[in-house]
Amino acid sequence: MTVVLTARDLTRHYEVSRGLFKGHARVRALNGVSFELEAGKTLAVVGESGCGKSTLARALTLIEEPTSGSLKIAGQEVAGANKAERKQLRKDVQMVFQSPYASLNPRQKIGDQLAEPLLINTALSASERREKVQAMMKQVGLRPEHYQRYPHMFSGGQRQRIALARAMMLQPKVLVADEPTSALDVSIQAQVLNLFMDLQQEFNTAYVFISHNLAVVRHVADTVLVMYLGRPVEMGPKEAIYTRPLHPYTQALLSATPTIHPDPLKPKIKIVGELPNPLNPPSGCAFHKRCPYATEVCSTDEPSLRLLDNRQVACHHAELFLQA
Amino acid sequence: MNTSNTATEVDQSLLYPSPYKEFWHAFAQNKGAVAGLLFMSLIVFCAIFAPWVAPHNPSEQYRDFLLTPPVWLEGGNWQFLLGTDELGRDLLSRLIEGSRLSLLIGLSSVVISLIPGVILGLFAGFFPRLLGPGIMRLMDIMLALPSLLLAVAIVAILGPGLINTVIAIAVVSLPSYVRLTRAAVMGELSRDYVTAARLAGAGLPRLMFITVLPNCMAPLIVQATLSFSSAILDAAALGFLGLGVQPPTPEWGTMLASARDYIERAWWVVTLPGLTILLSVLAINLMGDGLRDALDPKLKNAA
Amino acid sequence: MSLLEIKNLNVRFGDASAVPVVDGLNLSVDKGQVLAIVGESGSGKSVTMMALMGLIDAPGRVNADALTFDGHNMLTLSARQRRQIVGKDMAMVFQDPMTALNPSYTVGFQIEEVLRLHLNMSKKQARQRAIELLETVEIPAAASRMNAYPHQLSGGMSQRVAIAMAIAGEPKLLIADEPTTALDVTIQAQIMDLLLKLQREQNMGLVLITHDLAVVAETAQRVCVMYAGQAVEVGQVPGLFDRPAHPYSEALLAAIPEHSLGAARLSTLPGIVPGRFDRPQGCLLSPRCPYVQDTCRQQRPALEPKAYSQVRCFFPLNQEVA
Repeated sequence: MTVVLTARDLTRHYEVSRGLFKGHARVRALNGVSFELEAGKTLAVVGESGCGKSTLARALTLIEEPTSGSLKIAGQEVAGANKAERKQLRKDVQMVFQSPYASLNPRQKIGDQLAEPLLINTALSASERREKVQAMMKQVGLRPEHYQRYPHMFSGGQRQRIALARAMMLQPKVLVADEPTSALDVSIQAQVLNLFMDLQQEFNTAYVFISHNLAVVRHVADTVLVMYLGRPVEMGPKEAIYTRPLHPYTQALLSATPTIHPDPLKPKIKIVGELPNPLNPPSGCAFHKRCPYATEVCSTDEPSLRLLDNRQVACHHAELFLQA
Repeated sequence: MNTSNTATEVDQSLLYPSPYKEFWHAFAQNKGAVAGLLFMSLIVFCAIFAPWVAPHNPSEQYRDFLLTPPVWLEGGNWQFLLGTDELGRDLLSRLIEGSRLSLLIGLSSVVISLIPGVILGLFAGFFPRLLGPGIMRLMDIMLALPSLLLAVAIVAILGPGLINTVIAIAVVSLPSYVRLTRAAVMGELSRDYVTAARLAGAGLPRLMFITVLPNCMAPLIVQATLSFSSAILDAAALGFLGLGVQPPTPEWGTMLASARDYIERAWWVVTLPGLTILLSVLAINLMGDGLRDALDPKLKNAA
Repeated sequence: MSLLEIKNLNVRFGDASAVPVVDGLNLSVDKGQVLAIVGESGSGKSVTMMALMGLIDAPGRVNADALTFDGHNMLTLSARQRRQIVGKDMAMVFQDPMTALNPSYTVGFQIEEVLRLHLNMSKKQARQRAIELLETVEIPAAASRMNAYPHQLSGGMSQRVAIAMAIAGEPKLLIADEPTTALDVTIQAQIMDLLLKLQREQNMGLVLITHDLAVVAETAQRVCVMYAGQAVEVGQVPGLFDRPAHPYSEALLAAIPEHSLGAARLSTLPGIVPGRFDRPQGCLLSPRCPYVQDTCRQQRPALEPKAYSQVRCFFPLNQEVA
């Protein structure tokens, strides 16, 4: 299995001005994320708002440059790439967005939108482009006459199919999907997720699947990365994380996720409070103020990721949960 | 593959009319706008077919019929439906000929200010750190000067006449296009589809003109319509001040100026050109309102 | 007598020949009960509640055999009488707290407004009570939060404020329209806990509108499943999820990723919800139903009580009585 995406210590900081006389504050939106992703596999990035997953998405799709750390796509190092290399990188990573209503150009026919990546990046003739577009449209379940229509004539589920088709036109090695089904109804979500899985099999694309819906993640992911306030807190194979979560935040997320057959014997972990202000993060472990197991050391030392029970976890007390 | 998913799907897109039909349907609901459109169509018709529609030659002076009243007043003459002016020229023909000038002034000043205005606005929106504020400060300076005085100043420098009138009006309306375009561009830039176009590899020209600009057209179209009517007013004002189009060219404002002295004796020489200006501007503004109502909700629905 | 009784509710946008957005809906809620209304977009669930509160404007028309709340006939109320009930005895919490709160006024002002209008409190009393309400919804440092503007609060905090405004009038019935869809999952859990706690303490009826079946499973006692404007199944909560009687309920449950553990593909129904132009002559689900038969395509079934729930189907599933 070839590794198509390697991230080492990806970090992104923003300088935020706090007013005329107060100088700048530093927001550590992304703090040291590392992982490797193989072709045809899915890495799910899980976390709530403010955890840095959108920042990660922007860094992976080359929209923003990381402040530090390295990113390698299909073997090509991103930092210091020359113009030709950047052009190739551009083709290797694409994105599907959350809102089906905002990610398509309202004033462009969808056939033209699907053909655009080919027009910009390849030397195909107009008829060749059209052929490819029609083929992709068929694959995602659209009809040939849809080529001439405008986005507002389609339902949310259909628009996500179009967005997915557009992202796959260049057959990228990596697809970053930022909450692609959060805005869809349950049955449409199921259809679109099936389509994602089918296309992954067909093109052997690696997916970075960002979602806050743990039920969906369990279905699609191979590896799961849980983030909190810009830092990775737990990362490992899906089954390991779901059957025995070792980080208290992961446990809280799983416990808070509603389920059809709630187990009355399993107590719900209630965490109090809200995400801390990213301009003023807590000392030591970012989660310690809300963690039911926090001790002295948690407020002074920031835990780093370490290997335990077949996954990486960043918690001083992870051993407590090994028996569960 | 999984085409069974769509086997029983009714094609919703077949149930939607084309964008033009939708627009017309929305526009037609505004009665005022339709009335405005009809009046303007009449004016455009007169302008295009002026030589054939006008009963007389606009510059021909009928010495025997100086200051003839309009046909419905005592002393009126069926030969001159709206009467004649102080030099015996048929008023109706002059008004029809004048419509050519007004439309020409309106259209050319809008085009001359729209194109650079949109381009400057695009650049201001795409480069918000340095270039953008620079352009906007320049526009702020222009907006700080009263538009009519600015137009007067330009014409005073360049000299009176039709072309210079158009240039003056165009310069004066430039800032509003820049502002509008920049605001619309900045709103669209944060949308996902622009990011998607960047991800597809779109370069700056494509992003500006193919991705973003078509989505900013609605407020621009409305502004262009309204600028059209203020161009007519500005040209009339300049003409009235003697700085715009010079007599004997039958521009409506110039006609007002040369007839100032006859307000008491022959009110129709002043009132009728004034009324024509009023009705044209009103018609265009009503149309502009209708356009805005028809275009904006569609923009929201499409979003 | 039930707190809320809806019989044969029809909502149309347009004249009598227009397709109904809500078609022949029957619902009832008692004091202290939690009813969930589940459906996807186009099912008519939100429109039902808007009709109840009198928020449907022309060209929408609301018809019903009965629409009673707490003894009042909602259909024949004057605007003034309706204003006295809605917002006080019947309150609503909306989906997006960011747009449900007025961005130009402080949070304290908005809560006080409800108290002064509905409970006729003086300015001082209202302020005191508003702080109490903020504490009831578990907002820390309530007194200082009174002066915050909505955009200064997080999503979870804003929703708590919206809930405080809703319970300010001490309502008998609280309607929550997708109250947690826009929130993160841990905040969602907190908000749902809060709603249930308030509902228990004040013995309110709670109508929870959602598309998330898992939330329903954890909070409601009764559930009404809606499809294309009709109620297709109404039943008790654990029962309906264990033994769905209507094929649509079954399909909704099957589409949840939880139920496909291990399987490569999620089970789905082909096609989409019928819109204005393609409503079938027979059962509305017939073009998509995996169990469809000829009767289904020709006639529309009525909602009838069956073994465990009320079902709108000629051939309901899971009818064996254990």
